[in-house]
Amino acid sequence: MTTAIRAEILKLTTIRLPLGLLATGTALTAAMAALTAAQAGSGASMADAPLDTAAGLTGLLSTTYFAMIMAMVLGVTTATSEFRHSTATLTYLATPHRARVLAAKTITAFGFGLIFGLAGAAITTAVGLGFTAAKGYHVTLAATTIARYGAGAILGSGLLASLGAGLGSLIRSQLAAVITVFLWAFLAENTLGGLFHPLAPYLPFMAATSLAGSPPPGGKPLPFAAATLLIAGITAITGAVAARTTAQADIS
Amino acid sequence: MTVIEVRGLTKRFGPVLAVDDVSFHADRGTVTGFLGPNGAGKTTTLRMLLGLIEPTGGTATINGRAYRDLPGPVHQVGAVLEATSFHPGRTARDHLRVQAAAGQVGASRVSEVLELAGLAGAAHRRIGGFSLGMRQRLGLATALLGDPGALILDEPANGLDPDGVRWLRGLLRGLAAGGRTVLVSSHILAEVAQIADHVIILDHGRLITQATLTELTARAGQVVRIRTPRAAQLHAALAAAGQRAHMAGPDRLEVTGCTPEQAGTLAAQLAIPIYECAAQAPSLEEVFFHLTAAPASQPPQEMPR
Repeated sequence: MTTAIRAEILKLTTIRLPLGLLATGTALTAAMAALTAAQAGSGASMADAPLDTAAGLTGLLSTTYFAMIMAMVLGVTTATSEFRHSTATLTYLATPHRARVLAAKTITAFGFGLIFGLAGAAITTAVGLGFTAAKGYHVTLAATTIARYGAGAILGSGLLASLGAGLGSLIRSQLAAVITVFLWAFLAENTLGGLFHPLAPYLPFMAATSLAGSPPPGGKPLPFAAATLLIAGITAITGAVAARTTAQADIS
Repeated sequence: MTVIEVRGLTKRFGPVLAVDDVSFHADRGTVTGFLGPNGAGKTTTLRMLLGLIEPTGGTATINGRAYRDLPGPVHQVGAVLEATSFHPGRTARDHLRVQAAAGQVGASRVSEVLELAGLAGAAHRRIGGFSLGMRQRLGLATALLGDPGALILDEPANGLDPDGVRWLRGLLRGLAAGGRTVLVSSHILAEVAQIADHVIILDHGRLITQATLTELTARAGQVVRIRTPRAAQLHAALAAAGQRAHMAGPDRLEVTGCTPEQAGTLAAQLAIPIYECAAQAPSLEEVFFHLTAAPASQPPQEMPR
């Protein structure tokens, strides 16, 4: 397994896409954090609560979702690029046990996802604390809470990246898989969560962002451990289904 | 010693029978040419051999085991299946580093195979900018990474320039001379004729024949080509004597199944002057078209590659 993981790490560090996705994720996170900070307390629709309230600072700190979704896209591409560029043939020639390849991709995507989450958390924390200090506000959240949101963003990014690897193996088409991720995260979950509040905490992207402090519609997120287990479980089920279909698929 | 063995291999894609009960083998130290028209089932057979496509029936083994059960497969089998199996954004060296890591091959081997494939100068270039010929060379370099005992190559000469084709010919002959087993599919029959010891011919998913190149051409029978000003008269005489002769021109005949001595003696008895009379073994191309002629007259089914 370590051999397959080493190969997967090398695959991601020898192309430019991961850096591009990281740059995009961090840039969007920084822009959204700055915008949220600038509008906090202004009465604008995006963020009404001022930064000297727990709700306002939490709203800013939880803008890590762009980094998180880019982590998931990275996870998707670890699998789909094999089919897009027909490198699956060489991958399966070197490692004929396809479930092992998928496991290596899932683990590698998790590791890279942590980096995306770390970058996102670092940016939102720096922007949040920077704006709070610049405006002379008292930091209304405990250090442990800020650290928990940061850890949640990191862990959530890792888990979503792993889920992306499984999803990419199932869908195979890179374009279709990436579109699915965005439609699911921004449209389907918001629609479902908005219509059925009790369901919202159990939706995977909302569960992941709730780890980073973003409350789901209805305002009742799952406890940290439960949300983590939920996403890990969905990832495991997706991975198991993907492993089964991949093992049976003809690579032509 | 048999290294690659295929028995009763069958693959059905829905209603299409792509490979139908095919059996053959390839031995150590030989180059085996794997021939067939487009859609004959060559690529499907090779992919089944490499565990990439699940057979509907039959077995395919390398060194006595299915590919998926081979320990350290890239050290036992190297394969080139398509010239597009590369991430275009990766450099040639990085591509090989990835494959070396996946196959547990020492990093030093990367430079060796780049040199062997004549790509040392392009090692740091992105593959997206490579020509088809360079991609083929990189594919061969990838196949040779693990210094395998068997090579399975699908149309490796595609896109190579004449220098590249000569290089490939020398490489494959050298590998076979070194005791490796080479199974190479190709549609360039003249190339196969120059490098192959054995030939397997597939058509419409079925094995037509497996034989050595010498057996194959001998089996097809030699053709005696005759030039005479009284070709029609000699044609009639040969036909009356039970020979298969046909007019190849107003003063030319081609006779199958007889010797130049027999044809010359008959001409002498009839006082027919002969300007030329020579026996010629059929080329691999002639044998190939002879063997695949009948099925080829049927409209070919579209088959997955």
